[in-house]
Amino acid sequence: MLQVPDVHLAPMLPILIVLAGALASTVLGFHLPRRALTIINLVMLVLSGVSMAYLWNSGAAAFGGSLQADNAAILLGITILIGSAMTLLVSLDTAYRARVSFPEFDAMLMYAVTGTLLIAFSGDLITMLIGLEIMSLSGYVLATLQDSRPAEESGLKYFLLGAAGSAILIYGIAFVYGATGSLNYAGIAAKTAGLTPENVGILVGGALLLLAGFAFKVALVPFHQWTPDVYSGAPTSVSLFLSTVVKVAAFAGMLRVFGGALQNAPGWASVLQILIAATLIIGNAASLFQTNFKRMLAYSAVAHTGFLALTLLGTPALGGAAMTYYLLIYTLMTAASFAIVAALQRSEKGMEIGDLRGLYYRHPGYAVALAVCLASLAGLPPFAGFFGKYLAFQAAFQNGYVWLSVLAALASVAALVYYLRPAMLMFMPDRTPAREYQHGERPATTFTVALGVVGVTVLGILPNLWYGWVANPGIWGALAGR
Amino acid sequence: MIHLMIFLPLLGSLLLLATPKRWRDEVAGFVAALTLGLGLLIWRGGGAEVFRVDWIPALGVTYSVALDGVSLTLALVTAFMSFIAVLYAARRISNPGTMLSLVLAMETGLLGIFAARDLLLFYVFFETALLPALLMLAIYGKPNRMRALVKFAAYTLFGSLLMLLSIIGVKAYGGSPTFALADLIQNPVKGAAQTWLYLGFLAAMAVKLPLWPLHAWLPDFHEQNHDSGVPDVMGTLYKVGGYGLFQFGLPLFPDASEQLRPILMGLAAFTALYAAWIAFRQTDWKRLIAYAGLSHMGFVALGVFSLNETATIGAMYLLAFQNVYTGALFLAVGMLQERVGSVHTRVGGVMTQAGALGGMTLALWFASIAVPGLAGFVGEFSVLLGAYQVQPWLAFIAGLSTIAAAAYALTAFQTTFWQGRPLGAVRVADLRHTEWLVLGLPLAVAVFFGVYSAPALNLIQPAVRGVLAGLGGQ
Repeated sequence: MLQVPDVHLAPMLPILIVLAGALASTVLGFHLPRRALTIINLVMLVLSGVSMAYLWNSGAAAFGGSLQADNAAILLGITILIGSAMTLLVSLDTAYRARVSFPEFDAMLMYAVTGTLLIAFSGDLITMLIGLEIMSLSGYVLATLQDSRPAEESGLKYFLLGAAGSAILIYGIAFVYGATGSLNYAGIAAKTAGLTPENVGILVGGALLLLAGFAFKVALVPFHQWTPDVYSGAPTSVSLFLSTVVKVAAFAGMLRVFGGALQNAPGWASVLQILIAATLIIGNAASLFQTNFKRMLAYSAVAHTGFLALTLLGTPALGGAAMTYYLLIYTLMTAASFAIVAALQRSEKGMEIGDLRGLYYRHPGYAVALAVCLASLAGLPPFAGFFGKYLAFQAAFQNGYVWLSVLAALASVAALVYYLRPAMLMFMPDRTPAREYQHGERPATTFTVALGVVGVTVLGILPNLWYGWVANPGIWGALAGR
Repeated sequence: MIHLMIFLPLLGSLLLLATPKRWRDEVAGFVAALTLGLGLLIWRGGGAEVFRVDWIPALGVTYSVALDGVSLTLALVTAFMSFIAVLYAARRISNPGTMLSLVLAMETGLLGIFAARDLLLFYVFFETALLPALLMLAIYGKPNRMRALVKFAAYTLFGSLLMLLSIIGVKAYGGSPTFALADLIQNPVKGAAQTWLYLGFLAAMAVKLPLWPLHAWLPDFHEQNHDSGVPDVMGTLYKVGGYGLFQFGLPLFPDASEQLRPILMGLAAFTALYAAWIAFRQTDWKRLIAYAGLSHMGFVALGVFSLNETATIGAMYLLAFQNVYTGALFLAVGMLQERVGSVHTRVGGVMTQAGALGGMTLALWFASIAVPGLAGFVGEFSVLLGAYQVQPWLAFIAGLSTIAAAAYALTAFQTTFWQGRPLGAVRVADLRHTEWLVLGLPLAVAVFFGVYSAPALNLIQPAVRGVLAGLGGQ
């Protein structure tokens, strides 16, 4: 007898709305100017957010649990939508200067957002993989969309290494399935306890392959090599997207897999802590020696991966909350910094750090905003980046990883130095001619920057506005199906 | 009222951005004076009890503030010196809007440090005060400021991030429900963990005391700051290590402070002597005063680490009032620089034409090197008296630095203010207008509290007794 599949429309709604935006951009691109499409897509993102708010606390699922619209998905989904909206807003002002102002840009971006949401909403490994592939493929296209050598290099590098990462990931999925006989996160978590010794070996192998695959996607050392080249070669609005939304989605996948399905599986945590230690050391040390601001932000993205991944080592209740809090803050501050670079750079190479000298006296608003973002990235209170770091340290510390949190603290000192230098240069008086694009301050970018700065300031002074939502341990216990 | 006192300067600082240029001096001066007035009102009212609300309930972070005893004394001194700094900045710097705004923003951070009774809140204020200090250095500093900036920030953050970990650890290992000081004392950490956590906490406080070998940022910071000395006043106030150790370190880590007492006292005594020795070789007034301040901080540390009542009272007294005369000395150097265009100690003959400036500077120097009858003496003498009962030899070593102090202070004074004025040098003007107030008020405070210490002791003594009683008797 034919079984009717378990299809519910409601949990899929946030994803379908974004997909509709992507399809609309594909089709309507022949008839409408790009700006109109971008505005349609922004509306779609808002609608998707509204539908997520509607799904809050419903715990809805579709396809027999393959798609989960639980609260974790919604919290991560909202972070993704905010990052995507900021990208679209920035692209309104800067895409034509980067020569990527055509409908395909919007279409690919919205397809990528569809993929990222699918990861956040995934209930089993296959759904997650499909989301990851949609996201990655669109990401490769976005990185190479601009007609220039650096963009081609960036796209190709991203594609080759990303494809290798995906292959490893799929292999890991196969192993995990082989060991547990389940693809569903809750199913895997339920079966990890009573495995035969042979199967435990396979599970550990699968978990490590999954870890390596994800490490490619989130740029954990030693799988980070593509990151600086891709981020600095791609158009800046694309770098913004890749370093915020795509990273959030990859971490959402990690949270689902390692914080949920493999929560009690042995082996991966000890390897992860070594990867994190390497990331903290190499990411922060390499950032110290950058002379190009955009490239420094790329390395800083690697360094932040280390801090973010610390949360995976915490207990699910503390770690999940810490990661979700940190991801939103990270998105806000990174997106605002890239937005300012996109607005003020003369070419897509970004700006040299020395060019920032005296920026405060030429563009006071943007300079103060950038300083706030950098202070927040460095983890200085009263900005929200501090609480992100604090939560990450706490999650790792309380779960027994004391040496790693000490290392993270020392790495933060290096981080402060490389964030401080550009931030302080901006306030030093300068008598040489301006070296940035003079007419960069435009409404949509300004709005994005204001959103980021107000966000990190308000959430820094009143962290509870966001942490209050993510703190409920029930949300993170549910990841493992409990 | 206490919240108003803490956040009024910050409000004023934001208000300044929206104020027309010609009114900025007045607005800043008014805000600073109002803050000081509020502080005095709180003092008249017998201090402010602990006020506590949840800040981040899910994490157990509270907004707990109180101003009493030592913290009230230091808050009053901070408000007073910020007011003096605002007065002088308004006079000395053309278009001082940004500077005034930063001074006021920093004042909020400092008052918050003294008022906080929650460990995480303390950390937040501790770091918040860093940003204005960095910006003042970046905007108004001298050519080599980037190096000084990075050094200052890196040292501070190195210490404070280790402190952050130990804050996390204190709550996690002790099992306290919140970060509020009262709760943490109820749930102490036992055993070896306490020592490790104390070392983490100590890292931040040793940087901010500063204590040898974590002091290297201090001379560069002062040397590269603006000539007027206004940022130096705020920087001096920011040396809150002694207070942090007293208010949080001793109650939270009683066994560890007992255990490490000889080592830490040794470091402190060495800092006092070493800094005085180095100060003797300085030819830059700002570096000289920085090292002199470092030497005082050695005394403060010696007092706090000794866990002796007399010495701790002396340390807090010294910590409070060295802010007054060291700060005023930085401003006096600013005035000297305005007149002769240099902060070198071999200018020569300034006294012949600017008698009042020379006299005031000398009197402040006397306060600094602990001449009896001035505020510095009360503090240093009590520290030595108390420390002698615990570690006589270390007290002796620290005591040697008072001899060195006379040597470095008087030599520098002699070569700047006495001796002959170089031929063809410009005429030096004497003190004018508000400059009299800027140096006169701190001097009056130093004299008053050198002769009549009761008002301050009445505040400090009970607080010190309270903290040391918690240590299990002395």
